[in-house]
Amino acid sequence: MTDFWLAAALCLLLTMALGLVRVMRGPSGGDRILGVQLLGTAGIAVLLLLGAAFDMPALADVALIFALLAAVSVAALTRRRLTREDS
Amino acid sequence: MTAPLLLAFDLILIATLLALASAALLARDARHAVMLFILFGLWLALVWARLGAPDVALAEAAIGAGLGGALMLAAARRAARAAARDETPDTSGETP
Amino acid sequence: MEMTLQLWSMLCVGAGLFFFAVGTLGLLRLPDLFSRLHALTKADNLGLGLVILGLLPWAGDGFQVLKLTLIWLLVLLGGATGAHLIAKRALRADGEEMLE
Repeated sequence: MTDFWLAAALCLLLTMALGLVRVMRGPSGGDRILGVQLLGTAGIAVLLLLGAAFDMPALADVALIFALLAAVSVAALTRRRLTREDS
Repeated sequence: MTAPLLLAFDLILIATLLALASAALLARDARHAVMLFILFGLWLALVWARLGAPDVALAEAAIGAGLGGALMLAAARRAARAAARDETPDTSGETP
Repeated sequence: MEMTLQLWSMLCVGAGLFFFAVGTLGLLRLPDLFSRLHALTKADNLGLGLVILGLLPWAGDGFQVLKLTLIWLLVLLGGATGAHLIAKRALRADGEEMLE
């Protein structure tokens, strides 16, 4: 089963690398932030698959942090800049 | 079968890590650079997980990418605001 | 029994990989931000759910099963919130670029 988990993680890693293309040359900032979201979700899946392949259940904790980090960073990146009147 | 899979996995992981690092260094806008830095931290956490160090991956994701990224984003935003203020001085009156 | 579980995992993880691939394809090929948002956020969360469903039979104990399920729920919540934030920010940008 280890080979299957590794092959699945490899496919997901390829998907993430392709998604990075959009992050690098996305025309608007929103596209780049979408790339962050894709990388967060796919990264969680890769971590869980690696945890199954290497028999390391502790990687689920790292996946949990990834989920939190993706949500928080999307929220931080989409925050509006304060204009001088509001600040 | 496991060894070539691991080799391919490592090669893709490292190639993308280097690409992300150079993109973050060469980004022209500060906020793009910070965003790429956050992604770099996520990717580095994946590398640590692959190397079998979940605790280091945890620290890298939480501190390196999360806390550092948020602080740098705030700093970049503040710097951009200061630059915009310097460019267009307001007409309400010069400071004496 | 073992064979059945393996088949189940392969089916679920394979379907999850398919949804991830479709989401990324949408992110790369669709014309504008809102269609990309539409393609990515749903396909990705479903893909992660299917991968986790395939991993569940191999989780060590009940606590691990609970943790995996909670990760998926957190991703669902975070993904939906993030998609709304991005869409709202893009709609009400007032000509101001995101990230600028």
